Amino acid sequence: MEIKNLRALVKMITETDITEFEMENAEEKILIKRGPDKEYVQFAAPVATAAPAPVAGLAAPVAASADAEPAVVDDKYETINSPIVGSFYRKPSPEADTFADVGAIVEAGQTVCLVEAMKLFNEIEAEFKCKIIEILKQDAAPVEFGEPLFKVERL
Amino acid sequence: MKTPAPRETILSLFSQTPDGFVSGERISNELGVSRTAVWKHIRNLRQAGYQIEAIPSRGYQLQQSPDVLMPEAIQSGLECQLVGSRILSLDEADSTNLQACRLGDEGADDGLVVIADRQSSGKGRLGRQWESPGGVNLYASILLRPPVLPFEAPKLTFLSAVAVCRAIKNCTGLQPTVKWPNDILLNGAKVAGLLNEMSSETDQVHYVVLGIGVNLNMRLEQFPDELRYPATSLAIATGKAVSRLAFTRSLLQELDALYQIYLEQGSVPIFAAWTELCGLTGKEVQVDCNNLLIEGTMVGLGDDGALLVRTSAGKIESIYAGDVRPV
Repeated sequence: MEIKNLRALVKMITETDITEFEMENAEEKILIKRGPDKEYVQFAAPVATAAPAPVAGLAAPVAASADAEPAVVDDKYETINSPIVGSFYRKPSPEADTFADVGAIVEAGQTVCLVEAMKLFNEIEAEFKCKIIEILKQDAAPVEFGEPLFKVERL
Repeated sequence: MKTPAPRETILSLFSQTPDGFVSGERISNELGVSRTAVWKHIRNLRQAGYQIEAIPSRGYQLQQSPDVLMPEAIQSGLECQLVGSRILSLDEADSTNLQACRLGDEGADDGLVVIADRQSSGKGRLGRQWESPGGVNLYASILLRPPVLPFEAPKLTFLSAVAVCRAIKNCTGLQPTVKWPNDILLNGAKVAGLLNEMSSETDQVHYVVLGIGVNLNMRLEQFPDELRYPATSLAIATGKAVSRLAFTRSLLQELDALYQIYLEQGSVPIFAAWTELCGLTGKEVQVDCNNLLIEGTMVGLGDDGALLVRTSAGKIESIYAGDVRPV
């Protein structure tokens, strides 16, 4: 089925009270299900027939939006982790200002803290522009390899 | 390759002639400048401490060089595979570590060495200053790009500690000891400090900078009063001056040799050499871990370089940062 026809079909069905529509012929099978606030379109083609890509492109986002919603909430925050075992320092020296406070917007490549192990100081940088949501370790606290140091929101 | 500075060209001409004489004409041809300009370069060298005689019909003769750390003099005949492949020698730097990190960010090659005659804000741990007067000591930073994961890189601290101890032994005959992880002591007084910095991503080291400060010819009155530890210099310990040039060359060769061993065999031989230099194995120590005091018997080094201390409760603590001292 051509994309303009599929679009017309979806439009036609959404204008009715039909909640489920299924159509099958020799070349393809089309299933459209509707809930109160969402459309659900499933499209399958036998392997022998090349699946028309635009149709798959149309169908996928519709199906995805229903599934993806809870995941978006989980992905809202990311973490900056320690690449080494050591001591976490929020400032370059005890008298200095902190590198980044809660609420600060940091650019990609900006230093957010130091982790020291055996007199080797590792400047931990933000790998992307982000906002500091929470600082997960106390200043001068020991940190483990891979341990989250900051909860951040990617901007 | 950059074009060598005029004064480096002149000094290399002096080193190439067996009788030490170089004619003004030869210098002017090599540099492509007038005889008057040559005379100005010679005058500048004299002001920098070079004793250069002008003898009619024979030319200029270099009679004595000051103990300056010219890249060419350091590199001449240096037995290194990697370290010192490029040497940058500055009259003054804020901190050689800062300069080396800056060059590392700009993509400088593995093995670069940055040296400064003096530092205006030599870096110590946690923002402390490393006292860095001119003309007497060595302040050097070595840029390495080791093909290891970031969590491996702290082990390089032990490598530079062993190299500094060996260079001191080579140049003075004195046997220093190491204090975990990296302080170098002579008779209990600090003679060198090491501070390393790393730039990395989660799974890749961009570079490591090994910062090395060694008190060579520093005099007692040059030490600040409020030092946290008793400090000394090689000249104070031996009663005679040490050649900065000879020490620098020795240090770079020891670093290079140890780094090749590290790349081929890993940290095991490095840790073994360090443990031998550490006088504290089996002794009672106190470790100040950011206000938490741990007391016990020093066991040695863990696989990752952590200091292992057995407490009175029999538990072995792995320490990754802190100041350790004998009780």
